[in-house]
Amino acid sequence: MQANALQQQFEPKPLGTPLTYERQLCQARHSPCGRFLVASGYDATIQRWDLSQEPPVKLPPLTAHNGWVQCQAFAPAGERLFTADSWGKICCWQYTESEPRLEWSVESAHDGWIRALAVSPDGQSLATGGNDAVVRHWSADSGQPLSAAPHPGKVFSMAFHPRDKALVSGDLTGLIRQWSADSKTVVREIDARVLYQRHNNQECGGVRQIVFDADGSQLACVGQKSPEGGFATGLPCALVFDWSSGKLTQEMQVGTKEDGFAYDAQFHPAGFVMATSCAFPGRGHVWFWKPGEPQAFYQSNTIPNGRSLSLHPDGKSLALLVSLSANGNGRQLVNGQYDGGSARIHILGFSKPA
Amino acid sequence: MHQPQLCQPWEHRLSRRRLLGTLAGGALATQGEALGPLFAPAMAEELRAEEKQAILIWLDGGLSQLESWDPKPKSPFGGPFRSIATSAPGIEVCELLSQTAKQMHHLALLRSVCTQDNSHSAGVARINRGDPKDRGVVYPFLGSAVAKLLGPTSSGLPPYIWIKPQSGGFKAADAGFLGARYGALALGDGKPPENLLLNPQITPEENELRNELRQRFNTRYAARRRREIADANSYVFDLAQTLMRREDLFDESKITDRDRERYGTHELGRHILQGRRMLEAGVRFVKVNSYHWDSHGDNFNACDSLVRQFDQPFAALIEDLADRGMLDNVLVIVLSEFGRTPKINSHVGRDHWPEAWSVAMAGTGLKRGVAVGKTNADGTFVDGPPHDIGHLFHTWLRALGVPPENMSYDNHGQPLPVANEACSAVGELLA
Repeated sequence: MQANALQQQFEPKPLGTPLTYERQLCQARHSPCGRFLVASGYDATIQRWDLSQEPPVKLPPLTAHNGWVQCQAFAPAGERLFTADSWGKICCWQYTESEPRLEWSVESAHDGWIRALAVSPDGQSLATGGNDAVVRHWSADSGQPLSAAPHPGKVFSMAFHPRDKALVSGDLTGLIRQWSADSKTVVREIDARVLYQRHNNQECGGVRQIVFDADGSQLACVGQKSPEGGFATGLPCALVFDWSSGKLTQEMQVGTKEDGFAYDAQFHPAGFVMATSCAFPGRGHVWFWKPGEPQAFYQSNTIPNGRSLSLHPDGKSLALLVSLSANGNGRQLVNGQYDGGSARIHILGFSKPA
Repeated sequence: MHQPQLCQPWEHRLSRRRLLGTLAGGALATQGEALGPLFAPAMAEELRAEEKQAILIWLDGGLSQLESWDPKPKSPFGGPFRSIATSAPGIEVCELLSQTAKQMHHLALLRSVCTQDNSHSAGVARINRGDPKDRGVVYPFLGSAVAKLLGPTSSGLPPYIWIKPQSGGFKAADAGFLGARYGALALGDGKPPENLLLNPQITPEENELRNELRQRFNTRYAARRRREIADANSYVFDLAQTLMRREDLFDESKITDRDRERYGTHELGRHILQGRRMLEAGVRFVKVNSYHWDSHGDNFNACDSLVRQFDQPFAALIEDLADRGMLDNVLVIVLSEFGRTPKINSHVGRDHWPEAWSVAMAGTGLKRGVAVGKTNADGTFVDGPPHDIGHLFHTWLRALGVPPENMSYDNHGQPLPVANEACSAVGELLA
């Protein structure tokens, strides 16, 4: 499909009123059935909305975590939700009822911040990784540990291949490591080091998200090129690799150095990459780019500061989670109160969904 | 034919000769400036005899208090990291300070720091000079103030040495109205000034003859000038000579593998270790700088990278000073321009926040294993009496044995308090 045809079909338009939350959120995901949207963030909670009603109904949050909850994944059949926090805890939830049930949890699954979590395609196990630079494997039914293996750097992202029995993990240094499905054996390494830089005395960047396309022939990862410290500037970028060869096939770079990190991405079933980036208030892009094309067929900063995106399973809409938190030095009070920032989730419909 | 060239880059580097010249010039410029009438000479001698020393670790930018000394887990602004218990009962710090936590029984924290500037341009000088009242003069940085108030130790080494990344040189600007003599001798990357060490082609005997010649010139020079001028000249020559005799301070082969491992081989680790060596040698005041502590974006990954680089060598420094009994005489300070905003901006960064932050210190004159002052539950503002940098200057000077309320500089007849007279020492910190 040509770029202009793709744009005509998939240009996103706001649907309804955005969902809001009074605290900042990191990641949003649709349940496999499409009825629920969950989002987790800085206040150790997982927020839930029932999308089957109009407008969507906010449900009681899931509350058993500490610190930040930055990653979550559903079991493929949708019966469970797995979440992980920055204090090293993982939880398994029966999340569909009004009163959610914590099925099991592991209090100290990692030493500190868990940055990545993925569920195997058969739903039997999950993998986690984080700042302790260890990839761990767990039984999805019980939370019992299955394996643990060291990673060269802090693990920022993970994904299971949809068909091969393989797990990939991306780290701070831009290294992507392919593991056997049980995480016991390193199969190969893929080079995404363009997303890392030691700048001054600081390690910057990292592979912030990894995703496969539907048939598993392509892998995409996101972050920023030439990342720097301090203001953490860099060029939002998605890298696409051919899965069979592990070779880089395309760099999808957008915006300027002020548009910061690409935090999240997903392949659309039509074969293009959807990605979002976030930087200082008002900065960051959403872009859709079909591999093989010279440029994005859709790129917009009309809704900046996108931290996460999630395609609805019906393919008709996209949830775009954005951060709303001003920057600035010194005392800034709003109505006498110290404002801590908030989150908004835009539901975007495609022009002519397939 | 030899053609004079434009100056070469090497000519702009600090050489031993230039160091001597700069120091001598500064001394001449400030000849006659002693501590004023409010500062009794007997007290000065007594202070100098006590051999108090200080090391200031300056984290240029702002260290996030929430990711270091004043964590607020489970609060709206707490961030992702855990707080951990320390060797001082009841005091917790951020998990990024895991090594320092084991030395907390030696440390004193002030968690109620509230300063006036949220910009780099004004904040750096204001903090370093102790935010004195504006009297139309440029006050000295703490290192220069201590160099003036206490002078060199009996080691005779330069009283104010600054270990910093990149280039070195003589940094007269720190001295303000005190004059260049009280500036900092900066060791770029911890290395000695170029040409400091004796040229190996000159034998010790030749050097002796050379010094005899210099002494004769000095005597003739002194005979025609006031004694203060001659003394100043001798002072700076002696400082440089002393440093020249301490080649061992820059000999990296003398660093043990254990110390390399404990302090780390990264820049800040090497520089803090060099700072310890300078203290052991008897330098009165050592400043160690680390740059790029300004995490407006991606603060938490930045802290995970930077705070750990500080934690390891700082903990080793405190442990070593304690083991050697040096904490009884050495004041240790960890200072930034300001703290960082509790609010996390959209770029996952923290901006500048002078309203409520923390300063860590240890050593002579201070209580050990205490946390003084507090912030509110969310860490946004000080809960209780706030303390400005002026309070800290009073505290530090008093810890070094200098009674700031009773002392002033004499700036050509203008009496100037050594610390902001609207402030006073934080009594709960003093031993």
